[in-house]
Amino acid sequence: MTHKSIAITVTSGKGGVGKSTTVASVGLGLAQLGYSVCLVDTDIGLRKLDLMLGLENRIVYDLVDVIEGVSKLRQSLVRHKEYPKLALLPAAQTRYKEEVAPEQIKQLVDDLKREFEFVLLDSPAGIEGGFRNAIAAADRAILVVNPEIPSVRDSDRVIGLLESANLKQIDLVVNRVQPGMVRDGDMLSVERVQNHLAINLLGIVPEDKRIIRSSNTGEPVILDNKSMAGKAFSNIARRLTGEEVPFLELEAATLITRIKRLFHIA
Amino acid sequence: MAFLDMFGKQKEIPTATRADDRLSLVLSYQRANIDEEKLKLFQGRLIELCDEFGYDVVGQVEVVPQSHERTTIINASIPVRVKKDTLL
Ligand SMILES: Nc1ncnc2c1ncn2[C@@H]1O[C@H](COP(=O)(O)OP(=O)(O)OP(=O)(O)O)[C@@H](O)[C@H]1O
Ligand SMILES: [Mg+2]
Repeated sequence: MTHKSIAITVTSGKGGVGKSTTVASVGLGLAQLGYSVCLVDTDIGLRKLDLMLGLENRIVYDLVDVIEGVSKLRQSLVRHKEYPKLALLPAAQTRYKEEVAPEQIKQLVDDLKREFEFVLLDSPAGIEGGFRNAIAAADRAILVVNPEIPSVRDSDRVIGLLESANLKQIDLVVNRVQPGMVRDGDMLSVERVQNHLAINLLGIVPEDKRIIRSSNTGEPVILDNKSMAGKAFSNIARRLTGEEVPFLELEAATLITRIKRLFHIA
Repeated sequence: MAFLDMFGKQKEIPTATRADDRLSLVLSYQRANIDEEKLKLFQGRLIELCDEFGYDVVGQVEVVPQSHERTTIINASIPVRVKKDTLL
């Protein structure tokens, strides 16, 4: 393939907004499209990507082992059974973030880029050491934000930090959007969030209960064809490959509007 | 009426617009790295500056940081009058 390899960090500032969910689904989406993808879990001490991908029982070595020379990079990667184009480099579970330096992650990611077309880095919450590790190696960033004041405020700080780290291409994913609440004027709309942050919009992901099912089974929600969030993540993956994909019509998902449409009142 | 209200949904005022306004302010302060204390000092210096240039400040000085795209614009409104002695 002629595609130039690229490392993308998925980050947020505030924790719990959906970074790991995004990495797992978008990573799988890229692999479904035929690209070779490596997911790097940089959340040392609090790993989660392995669980989200159902790979937790196949981990032998981890990121810190590779950096310390305990294991070779290749033998530390865990391949997805169904989608072997997808690999995971798990985070160490019993170590501390401070044990890894940004230059070491950069070296590791550069090595991965020789083998994979996409390297997606899952960042830990916060803007300390772990955050710096995850941005040192990246060519571009995806900022995941929830339509709430604290998340937007933290994201704005993160944009400033990314820009001062010379990471210029930053794309926005607004996650956990509830179209009904936006319609009722009780949730910040995607447009409002984007206006505040003034960066390119890459994706809109609705609030979706089916994500809990996917976390129970260890199959990222992108594999769930009944899930609107899954569809949204699939669109994000396609946009990352350069394809132009229109944004989802989220309103169509609500039952009330469907009923209203049936009776021609919406 | 109270009886009827039990059936009709209590109309609440939507909150997203408030969130939007609060965010505008929070972000412009955060981006300009500014707080109330700093704004006060800023206002003080502006009054001094006006004095130096021959103006009396005759009302409330307002300094409001505003964000446009990712740039902060500091708007200062300073009601002044030209000093008597400079007119002579
Ligand atoms: N669109 C969504 N709809 C419903 N639940 C969601 C959605 N996105 C994420 N969640 C839920 O939110 C929680 C946090 O998600 P996730 O672990 O991906 O966030 P994170 O940003 O990686 O968190 P951390 O900062 O702790 O690493 C999870 O329980 C996940 O299932
Ligand atoms: Mg996470």
